[in-house]
Amino acid sequence: MLTNYRFNWAPIWDARDLIASGLAMTIAVSLVSLAISIVIGLVVGSAGASGSRPARALAAVFVDIMRNIPLLIHMYVWYMALAFLRLPAFTCAVLGLSLYSGAYVAEVVRAGIGAVRRGQMQAALAAGLTRFKAMRLVVYPQALRMIAPSLASLFSQLIKDSSLASVIAVSELTYEAGAIDGQTFRTFEVYITISILYLILVTAASQLVMLVPGARNEASSARFADA
Amino acid sequence: MPEVIVQNLPFLLQGLWTTIDLSLWSTLGGTALGILLATIRFVRVPVLGTLCMLFIEFIRGTPLLVVLLITYFALPALFGYKTTAYSAALLGFVLFIGAYLAEDFRAGLRSVRPSLIQAGLATGLNRWQVLRFIIAPQAVRSVIPPVFNQYIRLIKFTSVASIIGVTDLTGAALLVNARQFYPITILTTIALTYFVLCYVLSLIGRALYAHYAVKM
Repeated sequence: MLTNYRFNWAPIWDARDLIASGLAMTIAVSLVSLAISIVIGLVVGSAGASGSRPARALAAVFVDIMRNIPLLIHMYVWYMALAFLRLPAFTCAVLGLSLYSGAYVAEVVRAGIGAVRRGQMQAALAAGLTRFKAMRLVVYPQALRMIAPSLASLFSQLIKDSSLASVIAVSELTYEAGAIDGQTFRTFEVYITISILYLILVTAASQLVMLVPGARNEASSARFADA
Repeated sequence: MPEVIVQNLPFLLQGLWTTIDLSLWSTLGGTALGILLATIRFVRVPVLGTLCMLFIEFIRGTPLLVVLLITYFALPALFGYKTTAYSAALLGFVLFIGAYLAEDFRAGLRSVRPSLIQAGLATGLNRWQVLRFIIAPQAVRSVIPPVFNQYIRLIKFTSVASIIGVTDLTGAALLVNARQFYPITILTTIALTYFVLCYVLSLIGRALYAHYAVKM
């Protein structure tokens, strides 16, 4: 039952510059964190799938610690506990987000490498490739195709998680929404607007990942799971 | 144990209890909502199914913090009711985790082979009985890992409730820190507490899965 709430979208339109700059900041935080978390995920994930027992154990410890601590605490640790480092808020947000998401990416990468059939690696080595080249040219490309759907959902997760950067005063979309709400009291309109903006970002991001050549769609990856 | 933690132990434990309490009720509510949404989508109820799909996509595309801000500020403004931080957080978590669980449950329902459903119908069971006796028991097993992942995510996500003013573990810790300022000690302690909570839950999930997994 809608009571006498009067919709008024004009203040939202008037604040479009703030929303645009918030959106740009959200994209910046997400992209930088995305890049770092891919690097972390690749290194830790490869260690987790490697033949060396200590490397596997280290990777498992890293993943378990990073994943089982809430992202908000990650951010506060960089921003408050390690305040003596005097890192800018943006850097704190990126570090927290990358370490947290990197652990998730690592698990996906590890599963992807594990899913590439053993014979592929053996054949590559037998063909005279070095271990590094075999990984780069044979194993990773196949793994990437299989994990593209999981990566797509992780990356959209990362974009949404970047909203927590607002609590350590990074002026991204959610932060600006709070500011606009404070100025205009158009609470419902402003939060619906940014929800839709997040929805667009997330959809775009997951569609982009699925452009990976040969990426398997949901149906065929389900078939893969059956095999 | 560091002095600042010992001094404030009752307060922090109260926060921990709020975290557990909030997680528990959100888990129950979210699971119920998830099963409801998944069933409606799975049996393709017209109109209602589409509405559920839209709701799920909306929630899954929105950050949790924004969902909480909506349940705390926007919905009460829209419908003109009063709410507390705790009930707004609870509502937000149920809606949020329910939408994610719905997709996991639906994937589980869809993982049951169609030939089994056809066989069930052929032996004279009606659609409800097929769902109850053939699809559900198999689906439950296959969804244990993703569902426990969601529960673990939920525990971590409850920390976000501190932003709208719930004195959960994070909220309590931040208050203590604001009063006495030992950020390293306090944040390490609560990080460890969350770690133990989530890790124990993930072990339970693994044990359940090992126990109930469909052996091929």
